[in-house]
Amino acid sequence: MEEDDVAEAAQEYLDGGYSAFDGIMEGLVDGMNRASRLYEEEEYFVTDVLLCSDAMYAGLDILRPHLPEVSNDDKVTGVIGVVEGDTHDIGKNLVKIMLETAGFNMIDLGRDVPLTKFVETAKEENADFVCMSTLMTTTMGGMKTVIGLLEEAGLRDKVKVMIGGGPISQKYADKIGADGYSQNAVEAVKLAKRLLNIA
Amino acid sequence: MMTPKERLKMILEGQQADRPACICPGGMMNMVTSELMDRVKVYMPEAHTDARQMAELAKSVYEEGCFENYGVPFCMTVEAEEMGAKVDMGTNVYEPHVTGYVIDSVSEYKKLRAVDVTCGRAKVVLDAIRILREETKDVPIVGNLTGPVSTASSVMEPVVFYKELRKKNQEAHEYMEFITEQLIRFGRAQIEAGADLIAVSDPSGTGEILGPKYFKEFAVTYINRLLDALQEEKMGTIVHICGQMSPVYQEVNEVHSSALSFDSVVPMKEAREHLKDRVLMGNVSTYALEFGDPDRVKMLTRSCIKSGSDIVSPACGLGMKSPLRNVQSILEGIVSADSEK
Repeated sequence: MEEDDVAEAAQEYLDGGYSAFDGIMEGLVDGMNRASRLYEEEEYFVTDVLLCSDAMYAGLDILRPHLPEVSNDDKVTGVIGVVEGDTHDIGKNLVKIMLETAGFNMIDLGRDVPLTKFVETAKEENADFVCMSTLMTTTMGGMKTVIGLLEEAGLRDKVKVMIGGGPISQKYADKIGADGYSQNAVEAVKLAKRLLNIA
Repeated sequence: MMTPKERLKMILEGQQADRPACICPGGMMNMVTSELMDRVKVYMPEAHTDARQMAELAKSVYEEGCFENYGVPFCMTVEAEEMGAKVDMGTNVYEPHVTGYVIDSVSEYKKLRAVDVTCGRAKVVLDAIRILREETKDVPIVGNLTGPVSTASSVMEPVVFYKELRKKNQEAHEYMEFITEQLIRFGRAQIEAGADLIAVSDPSGTGEILGPKYFKEFAVTYINRLLDALQEEKMGTIVHICGQMSPVYQEVNEVHSSALSFDSVVPMKEAREHLKDRVLMGNVSTYALEFGDPDRVKMLTRSCIKSGSDIVSPACGLGMKSPLRNVQSILEGIVSADSEK
């Protein structure tokens, strides 16, 4: 379906001798940004965004090998995952897609992530921020534990912490000392940019 | 005075009772807390797999003055596990959750095991209901089912499932029919075992995820098929849907349940305006229940009633660390609001 069309279009575009970078920024990323705008306006829903992101990634697979080498060191890096005890990761996947679209280098730990793993990865990857989500009230407490572990590891000043998910609120973020809360994936991008002072 | 069972029955039938009911169904709507487990010395995860312990823990919810119902099970993984999914039973603070899927695509649904209610955890749940029926009276017994979309996205990767609703639409419907048949079998068996009503929670089938079109085509269609196939002589059904309702009020109103329940993002007043003739349940913030104090919980309880809630309940599953005093304050709030009248 859509992703095949996009892959085909991307190939034709390359064959036509155009720049892969422009194709990504003005084609794929622009398309995904429009999808996220429609999502914000409640014209698109999660299922639509998932299909659009498949199409975007299919195009990226074709265009990316033709980009000049850029090292990931230049990119702002985030670690993202669903906290231990929970396997609901739709929201997390959306946030990851939107952050990648916005140019962040995202390391996805998946779901049911052991709490220490967030801290270890943040350290290894020299991450700028950590995103955690959960859909369950029973697992919310894990986020607070991670913040404590970041403090113990001496990383808390270097790493911003963003949280989200069904039972999470700004109040909860304040309570556990997270740097920010966002209600949905589009807001998450704005929040990350604000926390990291990116225009 | 009315018994809790008489009261809930009247309310579900749309009649005026002496005061709002106060329940927490179980299933996704967890009503067990650490403090409660300590009181009765029955613990998770053992209570998920042992009928006697499950029944005792369910009893304690009423006996300790939390809610006016019994309800089992305490998770939403029984159906998926019986169909072959790998489930981690969790701990005393983590709920059971699926760790291994069975199929990779909706088109593979024939590989799934049909739910056999005579064995496994399905039987544990039914035995627990039988114990509750034998040993209690006057308090409604709620049997819980995981909703069709949530069950369907528990035995395969949800992202693939959501995409295939569109990409393999016809096969997705065949899959949903299979899933719904399994839920009907389990639900009917719960009623035969002695459940007075059935609560269905479908957190993965929300309007926010699916959008109005797919919400109607998949969530509402199969929830209704499930509800319509349950025995009619019982007290009724409750359907809990998570997330914002604003895109889908019209579709939600088509759900055939006796009562509708929402989480805390839905203002009860707004729900009441859009669903004038429905019995509504909800929605005391679980955040306030865990981190607030009894006065705040009572205040929220009164506000729920004033905004049009017929059955006061937590907005979602309770956090395990919610203090018992806070949980008990919902019922206390209802009773004191009633005596002030």
